[in-house]
Amino acid sequence: MSNRISRLFALLLVMGLLVAACAPAAPAPAPAADGSQPAEPPSAGAQTIVVALTGAPTTLDPADHRSRLSETVIRNMFDGLVTRDTTNGVHLELAESAELIDPQTWEFKLRQGVKFHDGSEMTADDVVFTFNRIIQENMIEYPEPHTSPRKGLIAPLASVEKVDDYTVRFNLSAPWPPAMQLFVHQQIVPKAYLEAVGTQGFVERPVGAGPFKFVEGQLDDQIVMERFDEYWGGAPTLPPVGPACVARAIFRVIPEASTRVAALLAGEVHIIQGVPPELIGTLEAAEGVVVKTAAGTQPKWMEMNVNQPPFDNKIVRQALNHLIDKELLVEALYDGRAVVLPGVLSPYNSFADDSLTPYAYDPETALSMLAEAGIVDSDGDGRLEWNGAPWSFVVDSLDEHRTLAEAVVAQLQGAGIDASLRLWEYSVVKPLLDAGERTAYLDDWGDSAFDPVGHMEAKWHGVEAGSPYGRGNFSGYNNPRVNELIKAGETETDEARRRAIYNEAQAILYDDAPAIFLILPEEVEASRANVTNWEPASDSRINLHDVCLE
Amino acid sequence: MRLVKITERLLAAIPLMLGVAIIVFLFMRMTPGDPVDIMMGQSGAVTAGEIERLRSEFNLDKPLHEQLLLFLGGVARGDLGNSFQRQQPVTRLIAERLPATIELALGALIFGLLVAFPIGVISAVKQNSAIDRLSMAGAFLGISMPSFWLGILLIMLFSVNLKWLPVQGRIGSDIQLQVVTGFYTIDSILTGNWPAFISSLRHLILPSITLGAAVAAIIARVLRSSLLEILRSDYVKLARAKGASETRTVMKHALRNAMIPTVTVLGLQVGVLLGGNMIVEAVFGWPGLGRLVVDAIFNRDFPLVQGAVMVYALTFILANLIVDVLYTYLNPKIEM
Repeated sequence: MSNRISRLFALLLVMGLLVAACAPAAPAPAPAADGSQPAEPPSAGAQTIVVALTGAPTTLDPADHRSRLSETVIRNMFDGLVTRDTTNGVHLELAESAELIDPQTWEFKLRQGVKFHDGSEMTADDVVFTFNRIIQENMIEYPEPHTSPRKGLIAPLASVEKVDDYTVRFNLSAPWPPAMQLFVHQQIVPKAYLEAVGTQGFVERPVGAGPFKFVEGQLDDQIVMERFDEYWGGAPTLPPVGPACVARAIFRVIPEASTRVAALLAGEVHIIQGVPPELIGTLEAAEGVVVKTAAGTQPKWMEMNVNQPPFDNKIVRQALNHLIDKELLVEALYDGRAVVLPGVLSPYNSFADDSLTPYAYDPETALSMLAEAGIVDSDGDGRLEWNGAPWSFVVDSLDEHRTLAEAVVAQLQGAGIDASLRLWEYSVVKPLLDAGERTAYLDDWGDSAFDPVGHMEAKWHGVEAGSPYGRGNFSGYNNPRVNELIKAGETETDEARRRAIYNEAQAILYDDAPAIFLILPEEVEASRANVTNWEPASDSRINLHDVCLE
Repeated sequence: MRLVKITERLLAAIPLMLGVAIIVFLFMRMTPGDPVDIMMGQSGAVTAGEIERLRSEFNLDKPLHEQLLLFLGGVARGDLGNSFQRQQPVTRLIAERLPATIELALGALIFGLLVAFPIGVISAVKQNSAIDRLSMAGAFLGISMPSFWLGILLIMLFSVNLKWLPVQGRIGSDIQLQVVTGFYTIDSILTGNWPAFISSLRHLILPSITLGAAVAAIIARVLRSSLLEILRSDYVKLARAKGASETRTVMKHALRNAMIPTVTVLGLQVGVLLGGNMIVEAVFGWPGLGRLVVDAIFNRDFPLVQGAVMVYALTFILANLIVDVLYTYLNPKIEM
């Protein structure tokens, strides 16, 4: 008997070792930012708002990510010099004024009396430190010294200098018209605290000057924040001003869309991001749920390889623009929650040319244009031939665009084109696209700064290897005049002249049609009906400062 | 003697792990896709200098054999490197999420065994009865049903319509729990936090059922077929002839022998439970290792994938070892 017990003991020991080996070193319970223990759980009815994110933020350090989701969370704990409303308007936040004192120098006057969560006051030193931490090499020391991945977002910023305690000067390497739209994406960190605890300490217990302070959290699971009662109030031009309305705010990570929708229906969460078009109907039919949209920032098109015949013929590319019924795509796939692209820029871009209208759906014109290019149904079998063989090509795309890509390919097939779809992983197809080996590629390109910079030079400028120019150009399009205009627009500070430059570029691109200009879906989010003062934002920010629960 | 054997097996795992490390290292680098490309994404002014800088930060500019040596040197020191995407040590990222994955796997295992044993035994004893046919049809369904679909069905029924159980997560968002081991059910007991215990248990139920359904089905079928075979053997006939009660015959004589194939399959299932739960973790928003690894694969986060695969490999090795140890208890004639 004792033998049996000892065997059992040995077995339990092995299992225990396995479990112990797998368990992490017990992390200390997270104390609150002021050093005290976490507050007691809120009693029922206390105002806690729960938001479901589509994925996990990668960090809570504003300088150490390239992730929209991270920024969505971070912007509730940190404020920047400037911020953005739910569309594309930029507002002063921690800066009291911003002045372009010469084409390459911005001067910011800072608000006084702004407190960080650790009680210290924000001054010019914090702002200089924040930006130096981004633009200087190897400033982030954890886990190994590296340079901020956000440096590229503000590449023209050469140096930052303190003028006095509440004045900071930003020196640019060249004139940079979209500066303000891009400063929105940089948040101020407290110099003294960060230097004291280091980056490792900072990412574990982030401290900012935003409306909520960090309580506890694990990035893949949930991040809990509570109202910062000494918050300075927020941008005066974006009321309400003052401390946040709700006492606690929680971001939960729910990657699966149908689970997010179920969690909202069950009342477990108050706001959900990323509602897929096919679930909009379910939510609209449900009681106690509100669906809202914001202008989208991910325009979608099908680029055509302009160096591959017959796509090297402009008429063929224009014909395909006439062949696709984009209105039908908007209605059938997006339930009307999308707009047709009038050209290369999103209609919400600050420099979109209003005079351009989308290519009209006109299959007859399209077919006669194709015939002009030698693509006709010569044997009457309902299929178009080119060079004596059925005209056949593959449309490449990514799984996230599957529905749209299938619909576009089906429309091409309906017109007698032997088109087929191939879905890829982006990292696999990208080198092939860069090498010009593919024929047609359906994808999107983010436009959250609402400025042509970040977009025009990436998609429609000719490829200049090792530079930002043409980094997303998968059509091989390379027009010297357009290249010239795109570069001129980047540094032109006079708005009217800048608009004229971009209008000319857009007109040329519209006519050259290196892509089928498809659609721009709206950002669809949903909330419980008792959530008030909440609007989805185009840049996927979820501003919980203003939100209340009834 | 047994402990010596166990130690030998554990030592033999070291070259095996080295092999796993080298294979996963090479496979990740053979996979098309560039981690720096993915990391930069679309936004911002990406300069050539920036890409070169990242490449050198990640040691991707070094020749392959140097990268491999750096990696293996790190492994020997217990350092799996830093995640490209998350700028955190890989060991830390894995250690934070592993308890969630193990807790879910254990929940699924417990559910699987609780369901499989009665069904397997009853189906074998009452072979070809209505209850046998029904439960085997159920088992067939359990094996065939994709877990993401089952998960969503369970959520719609029990969480959205009946509102009995939570939709997702490990614990209610209104509950605060002091983390000790990372196993929320255990931590809540250790800290005497009963609301947290109930909440974490409630959150565990649906994902455990979803993940455990296939296990239950497989175990029930294996147990039934091996028990059927044994019930026809001579020594069972003899036990019956001696007048032993049916319960005693089945539970004492037959079941123990039927356990050997069952435990073999169970050992393999433990590996599947730990390694194959990405989908269940995604459906239930369960912050475990599976989701982390899927993200890491898509982002070509080499160090994180390498580290996670090594953890999975180690789990399989340990699960097999435990099965072998269990054999010796079930049948003392078997040696390790």
